[in-house]
Amino acid sequence: MIRLSDRAWSPYLTGALIGLLQVPAFLLLGTALGASSSYVTVSASIAELFDPAIRGLAYAGKYLDGAKNWWQVALVGGIALGAFLSAGLSGTRRSGIAPVWTRALGTANPAVRFALAFAGGFLLLFGARLADGCTSGHGISGIAQLAVSGFVAVGAMFAGGIATAMMLRAVR
Amino acid sequence: MSVLAAIAVGLLMGVAFGFLLEKSRVFEPGVILGQMQLRNFLMLRIFLASVASGLIVLALGTLTGIVPKLDPKAVLYGAQLLGGFVTGVGIALAGACPGTVLAQVGVGYRDARLTLLGGLAGALTFAYLEPAIRPVLLTGSPGRLTLHGLLDLPFWPLALGFAALLIAALYALERWRPWRAELGERADGVLAERPETGPLPSGTAPAGR
Repeated sequence: MIRLSDRAWSPYLTGALIGLLQVPAFLLLGTALGASSSYVTVSASIAELFDPAIRGLAYAGKYLDGAKNWWQVALVGGIALGAFLSAGLSGTRRSGIAPVWTRALGTANPAVRFALAFAGGFLLLFGARLADGCTSGHGISGIAQLAVSGFVAVGAMFAGGIATAMMLRAVR
Repeated sequence: MSVLAAIAVGLLMGVAFGFLLEKSRVFEPGVILGQMQLRNFLMLRIFLASVASGLIVLALGTLTGIVPKLDPKAVLYGAQLLGGFVTGVGIALAGACPGTVLAQVGVGYRDARLTLLGGLAGALTFAYLEPAIRPVLLTGSPGRLTLHGLLDLPFWPLALGFAALLIAALYALERWRPWRAELGERADGVLAERPETGPLPSGTAPAGR
């Protein structure tokens, strides 16, 4: 029996339900789940306030307007709200920095963690835009469509992730 | 679909997505980092289950015609190998992916806000550099290649076969180590220290079993 107040649901159930989100994505938007292009939509929209010429760039320009782009921005924003609600129901709201970082980085200094979080986020999205997708777009959606690009990108993501994580301290 | 309707649909789907990411615990930096250190396999379980269910619904959808066509991304080997690798480095340092970082922000992790800002900066930097990168890495795509296309087979039998393989792999994974064993005391994927590993850095309390 699963309850909304449970801290954790089975990864098989939650994973399967996440896969089912492909149904509304394809039926209503004609596309698959993704997350990383919303970062271009948001950052380029903000940049346009200071640099209207960004609209003239072929790449940035195609992410500024339209239903699909803003659908994904809303999707990614909704993730924060959904996680907030779920954590509230199960009493797993968090604060500060996850304790795992003290273990993995060997220091409890928040400045180190904040700098690494920013750098990690930068590489995460720079890489994902270069690869044209992230763990959602290439991973969950690409492989579910048997896309060659998905297999290539996900293999490279795990290679980069494992190579880097192994240089940090063991988390257990 | 109008932009406003698309935003409403996206918000509803996003709330469901975020709820499931939180309930699955896959958004926890300890789970993501643990997966990349091959010490915790919760992320792989959720990932493979979501791929398997996606394969099944898309197989049924294309077979019945409810889903008129798939939307695979074009192949760009250089960009996907290099970009994927850089993404992976970012996943390990951030302890997050572009979607899960929002779940981390939602539950209250402070550093995730910096990850989010870094992500926006990274995406914007790419957008400005794209004209220079394009001739080097983003041209000469062989197209939207798919396994079924390469094998000249319909999508659905291959998709259902692959889904069956993934489900068998998940079954084996669960037999090897039950998923609840990977949650940890705080349900953050951080498991009790193994006896053979060294002392904890000061300021960390070892979590008891």
